[in-house]
Amino acid sequence: MTATSPGAPSGTGRRLLGLLAPRTYGWQTPAATAVAVLAALALSSALIAVTGGSPSASVQALYQGSMADWTAWTSTLLYTAPLLLVAVGACVSARSGLFNIGQEGQVLIGALAAAWVGLRLAITGPALLVLMLLAAALAAGAWAGLSSLMHRLRGVNVVVSTMLMTFVAQQVVAYAVNMPWLLQESRVGNAPVSPQSNPMPPSGLLGSFGEYPGLQVNGGLILAVGAAVLVAVAITRTPWGFRLTMLGRNPLAAKHAGVRVNALGGAALAISGALAGLAGAVLLASPVGVNRLQPGMAMNIGWDGLLVALVARNRPLAAVPVALLFGVLRSGGGFLAATGVPSFLVDVVKALLVLAFVAPPVVVALARRRRSGGRTAGPRQEAAPVAEEAIA
Amino acid sequence: MRTVDERARELTPPSTPALRLRGISKRYGPVVASDDVDLDVEHGEIHGLLGENGAGKSTLMKILLGLVQRDSGTIMRGDTPVDVHNPQAAVALGIGMVHQHFSLIDALTVWENVILGDTGRIDRAAACRQVEEVSRRYGLPIDPAARVDRLSAGERQRVELIKCLRRDPSVLILDEPTSVLTQAESAELFTVLRHVVRAENRAVILISHKLAEITAATDRVTVLRKGRVVFHSATRDTTPPELARWMVGRDVSLRAEGAALGMLPVDGAPPAGTAPAETASPGTPPSEDTPPTEPPAEPPAEPAAAPAPPAVAAAPGVPSGGAATEIVPALRLSGLTVTTDGVTVLSDLSLDVAPGEIVGLYGVEGNGQSTLGDLLSGLLLPASGTVELAGRPVELERPGALHRAGLGIIPEDRHSSGVVLDMSVAENLVMKSVGDVSGRGFVSRRKMHAVARRLAAEFNIVAPSLDAPVRSLSGGNQQRVVLARELSAGPCVLVAAQPTHGLDVGAIEDMYRRLREAASGGVAVLLISTELEEVMALASRIAVISSGRITGVLPTAEATAERLGMLVGGVAA
Repeated sequence: MTATSPGAPSGTGRRLLGLLAPRTYGWQTPAATAVAVLAALALSSALIAVTGGSPSASVQALYQGSMADWTAWTSTLLYTAPLLLVAVGACVSARSGLFNIGQEGQVLIGALAAAWVGLRLAITGPALLVLMLLAAALAAGAWAGLSSLMHRLRGVNVVVSTMLMTFVAQQVVAYAVNMPWLLQESRVGNAPVSPQSNPMPPSGLLGSFGEYPGLQVNGGLILAVGAAVLVAVAITRTPWGFRLTMLGRNPLAAKHAGVRVNALGGAALAISGALAGLAGAVLLASPVGVNRLQPGMAMNIGWDGLLVALVARNRPLAAVPVALLFGVLRSGGGFLAATGVPSFLVDVVKALLVLAFVAPPVVVALARRRRSGGRTAGPRQEAAPVAEEAIA
Repeated sequence: MRTVDERARELTPPSTPALRLRGISKRYGPVVASDDVDLDVEHGEIHGLLGENGAGKSTLMKILLGLVQRDSGTIMRGDTPVDVHNPQAAVALGIGMVHQHFSLIDALTVWENVILGDTGRIDRAAACRQVEEVSRRYGLPIDPAARVDRLSAGERQRVELIKCLRRDPSVLILDEPTSVLTQAESAELFTVLRHVVRAENRAVILISHKLAEITAATDRVTVLRKGRVVFHSATRDTTPPELARWMVGRDVSLRAEGAALGMLPVDGAPPAGTAPAETASPGTPPSEDTPPTEPPAEPPAEPAAAPAPPAVAAAPGVPSGGAATEIVPALRLSGLTVTTDGVTVLSDLSLDVAPGEIVGLYGVEGNGQSTLGDLLSGLLLPASGTVELAGRPVELERPGALHRAGLGIIPEDRHSSGVVLDMSVAENLVMKSVGDVSGRGFVSRRKMHAVARRLAAEFNIVAPSLDAPVRSLSGGNQQRVVLARELSAGPCVLVAAQPTHGLDVGAIEDMYRRLREAASGGVAVLLISTELEEVMALASRIAVISSGRITGVLPTAEATAERLGMLVGGVAA
């Protein structure tokens, strides 16, 4: 029963029922999530067993590769940083109702811009790194902004255009690392030249805190967590975030309330792109890779970051632990593959976990609707007046 | 397929009606949509069905088409009683309908739309041939290969007609067919209908609220009111004023006299000190502890734009008659024209509303009211014309300009543009004034809640909590949220579009009281409504809108059924 039930005639009664309403289902979603996660883990073990592996050995390997020692933790955190940056950006655009799913390409464009600044501008000292990060954010933000422009000028669907722009971005980076005048590595003697850039100069690398055998926290992670906090505050506490939420929940009402719908939506898309671009710069400048621009360097971070945002339900702070979990799966997954378990199983496990987190709220909502006889609090309350409209 | 001639021969009189309805009744809960309706439609005639919104025209037709099942009564085709269980049965009986809102798929071509729903193999050439054949026979020129989204409204209507005529119906029903057509297109349509009736002896039922159309195009006319047949005549034996009277009803003039005597009944101050929550129950308008005539305690700082209400409150509350022109009107619409898809939705619309006055904009649904509402919500721009608030023109292209200039609006569809269902009551209440509850770049939850608590108490908003999503509120309370937000900004103009649509009796009374209070506090109120009773009860002047233009403005005292009916029907009275 809800506050709008026609069965509650008196005002006081309705108020009482209304007070009860939100609390009756508060625990259901977490409970369902717990069950779903357990089911996903069970299913994953079964899969590993079926393909000839040992579930316990696999868990062991996952643990070994991601959390067993400082080296493993270091590698986990190196993956966590770009995942988190992408996810935080995805939160911003999803909140505005414009779904940017082209982060994979925006990561590459960010890396490309950072590499160009790092290798082609004769700057030394910490200014270089700052410029690299700025260039990455600007370039990828503009890249995502193109989709917003297409949407505004020609009505192109943002989901489609951001995704297709990913493939364009891949071609652009491939071109850049194949052209000596652009970013291809310099020929040394007679050695064959690969489609990649020169390594970044030392001043263009993100430093780490901590000594080699111990835990190393890369600057990228600090950047990512900082971005998560900043975006979380901006979204939930500022008038800007208020308008962004309004836009995402009801664009018409937002426009009615005087929100500059196009400008705000475009800004949200550009910010999400800029954060993905920062992730690209972090991939390039942190010891997660080889510090060279390579066509394959995005490593699906863009796609996985989207999943992080999905599981975190577009809440930037919730994305922090989720990104960590995905970092664990990534670095542990690499180790797992080395023990003979097919590495694609890690992707299956990841997918199952995403489903386990995403599905329960929907299932609970559906079950609630069915139980209340198809009547929900919101739009359905118009059920009675509909009879009048039918006469018209 | 039988040729038309064979078909026509088959249909020529035995002089029994093509369609005979006896005692058709249908109720939806307490609402009687159709009350013991008898209707005879002859071969070879255009039968007009006239009535206001909610008179039961559409329900009757839905029963005929098998979309709605009747509670009682008989439908006869010729002399045999028939049952129309579903639309397929209606088609088999030769009943075809052209709907008011087109049922075409934009992305498909004309011939694809026409054969939609057919079974069997798709034969493009045959389908195109058929479209061309039908279009030649009835003089409905159309390119079968054209995509529907490239067509004008008139051309789309042609496609609908072809779609319907192709099935060779003996009874053709048209529901408000000219509502989206230009004058020329309407004339064309009626020529085609004449042909269909005269040459092929089909029966046509024309549903309309436009008097001119009914008198010009029909042979006989039936007037429905509140689900009943109230009048029936051969068209040549009646006159538009008579039809108008029947359509709007006799009791209206009584109400008008009442309204004239009492003018604007402003509620006296309710007993002070009553706790709002305990007395709130549907049926009795909830009382409140603030005197009703007081403008919102602390109007949020909107220094430049919003003229303060008290300044105009001193003006004489209600100008008697129509002499509102001596004061600067709070709201002046001049020459507003809006065109969509080549059809003029608003045509040179001008209207003034003085401070402290309630003007009712009355008309049958779909005559441009929602477009005007959207325009005043800042959702669309006029092709020409201006909106002036307190004498100053508003730059409509700037987002939020109307709000800043002091216009509050209760939009027609609160779910689509009035509230954000998934945001909290508090957030919805401060939606248009986030800046006022923020300091140093952050939204202050404390300030937001303080404002929300004050408004919720003042406007009697019953909510589980201020943090509950607006979705969890009843319709009446959602509407109070909108009203509270709009009035709290201290507007000089309040536009209320269908403000009581879908509300229960208690909430309606509450809304009426609030609107009267707003007006007596000096706010100019423009009430857009399709409910005549509502307009008569609240407004001191009634402007009638028909086909996007104001056909007349009457003081409520002079608004008789006949004059209103004529105006609603698009005939100047």
